[in-house]
Amino acid sequence: MSTASATPPRRRLADAQVKLSDRIGEPAFRILCGLAALIAVALIIWIIETVFDKASPAISHFGLNFLATKTWNPVTNNYGAAALIYGTFVSSLLALILATPLAILIAIFLTELAPQFIRRPIQILVELMAAIPSVILGLWGIIILGPFMEQHLEPFLHSFLSWIPLFSGSYSPLGMLPAALILTFMALPIITSITREVFQTADPALKEGAYALGATRWEMVRMTVLPISRPGIVGAVILGLGRALGEAIAVTQVIGNVSQIKASLFQPAGTMASWIANGYQSANPGLGQSSLIYLAAILLVVSVLVNLGARLIIRRTGMR
Amino acid sequence: MLAALGLAACGSSSSTKTITEKGAASSSSSSSSGGSSVGGATTLIGAGSTLVAPLLQEWASAYDTAYMVAITYGPIGSGGGITQITGRTVNFGASDAPLTSAEATACKGCLEIPWALAATSVAYNVKGAPNNLKFTGTVLADMFTGKITTWNAPQIKALNPGVSLPDTKIVPIHRTDGSGDTYAFTNYLSHVDPAFKSSIGAATTVDWPGGLGAKGNSGVGGALQSTNGGIAYIAIAYVLQNKFDYALVQNAAGKYPVPGPTSIAAAANAVTTIPAGGTAGISLVDPPASAAGAYPISTFTYVIVPKTGSSAAVAAGMKKFIGWAITTGQVGVQKLDFAPLPAAVVAADKKTIQLIQ
Repeated sequence: MSTASATPPRRRLADAQVKLSDRIGEPAFRILCGLAALIAVALIIWIIETVFDKASPAISHFGLNFLATKTWNPVTNNYGAAALIYGTFVSSLLALILATPLAILIAIFLTELAPQFIRRPIQILVELMAAIPSVILGLWGIIILGPFMEQHLEPFLHSFLSWIPLFSGSYSPLGMLPAALILTFMALPIITSITREVFQTADPALKEGAYALGATRWEMVRMTVLPISRPGIVGAVILGLGRALGEAIAVTQVIGNVSQIKASLFQPAGTMASWIANGYQSANPGLGQSSLIYLAAILLVVSVLVNLGARLIIRRTGMR
Repeated sequence: MLAALGLAACGSSSSTKTITEKGAASSSSSSSSGGSSVGGATTLIGAGSTLVAPLLQEWASAYDTAYMVAITYGPIGSGGGITQITGRTVNFGASDAPLTSAEATACKGCLEIPWALAATSVAYNVKGAPNNLKFTGTVLADMFTGKITTWNAPQIKALNPGVSLPDTKIVPIHRTDGSGDTYAFTNYLSHVDPAFKSSIGAATTVDWPGGLGAKGNSGVGGALQSTNGGIAYIAIAYVLQNKFDYALVQNAAGKYPVPGPTSIAAAANAVTTIPAGGTAGISLVDPPASAAGAYPISTFTYVIVPKTGSSAAVAAGMKKFIGWAITTGQVGVQKLDFAPLPAAVVAADKKTIQLIQ
């Protein structure tokens, strides 16, 4: 009796406490979450606003001519981004051309072909590649990759393909090709791990259907896994592109840092991100600094467009 | 106690010790605020020139031991040093290039005080070529602008008779960050080659046609090491440390002096007019033919401080530190491949220092 009479008040008290904490806690929780989201959004807007604000002197001074001018001359205070935009796109596209097939092959190996016990270790190692700090990758590029390219790979390419302007001219340990290769290594783990996950979601029933129809392993992959996964692969490639476009340090270490457009991939070049990283600390006050931020604004716009484009492609192919 | 510290700071030479004590005595009498550990700033922060960095490292440890003032220095390049002091994010900037008029305006009343004397040398890495090849300024200008493209070009052969040179392609390597070495080198080339002056010009960063770019002396050194056929301008101390082959550059007298403290001092001693008031640099490149032993790409390197606006403690600290650097600090700089400042420059500097408030 005494216990029965004691319990209800306690329960009532508990109810009241829950209600009280509900009344304060629930909205507080909502506000907290909303604030977190707001901070993220505000930060992005703030960054974009800062970049365009600081770039505005150069934007109003050079206008769109900035995009078509090749020189970067601090002596005459005449700046243009054409060579750097070219360098950014060529190095990134080259990296994707090399990384994408490699990533798809690795992903097929990991999901369809490899014996179970080595899938996990290989997958972890591939993902670890993404954990290598870019400055270390760049150092490796200077010490090992660059000399190897100059002494072996570039002469090899040249001996077979010298009729293509891309592989003409003299060899150099620092240039567009080593930069593209370093970017390949950086984009590879991202593209591989996303592609692998996409492959894993492929419906087993479809695969079994393909086998039932007498398909070989390759035919099964080609007819079921690859078509289903196409939007996912495109998304993965675009994410890899984002990684490649914005990489500054490793590219600076191996690209040779010259604002020039040369047909040969052996020659030094520059990218927008590497140029900013190289020059910001010592840019001429005023127009010099502002022009570097104009470069940053272009890079920002390109990155946003690439991302939006990826979403569009994924949505359209996804609907089919 | 102080004497013991002074001794520890400045090594074994007894003459060094007495100078240190004198310096300590004169500066403590000039700073009205009393003991150095109480009155002046206990830390001074600077940034800029990579060329002067090894010297500043020596200075910092000697000065800290003598006066308990920590000097923190970031070797980010001369251009960066000018930017930092213009933004007043440091107490002093260091640059091997004097301020341009635009930079001087932006810096709002900055004093530039020559406080060390060094040189930019020309190093190269060519398999099959000997050390100490000879060059003239115009040949160097042609190599860096792509007019001369191979190491066995007739212009180079003519300067180095009897030397066998390979047909390796010339790869000029330059600094991508704002650099006093770039300034000294382009200033020299502009002096001796009008075509270079009109097409490239002299500044801490210029628009090089082609070649290879790298950041900092170490970046350029790395690129040079891995590039057969490479030629680069690098601070002399860095070249000797890394045992690069280096060029002998012809001076106005037609001689090829070895870059080093002696030939740098010869160039500095040829300077006749020293601008007062800390508002202009002193050009040392391409000294007249009368200085037969002068190395032609010598350069003063400057400390840049705001004339006004620093806190009293920082202003007093900077006055004392610069005063020490241009006197006591000059002793033994030869071992770092700097040359001591000429007396006339020290005298002008002392007047300029008094303008810091």
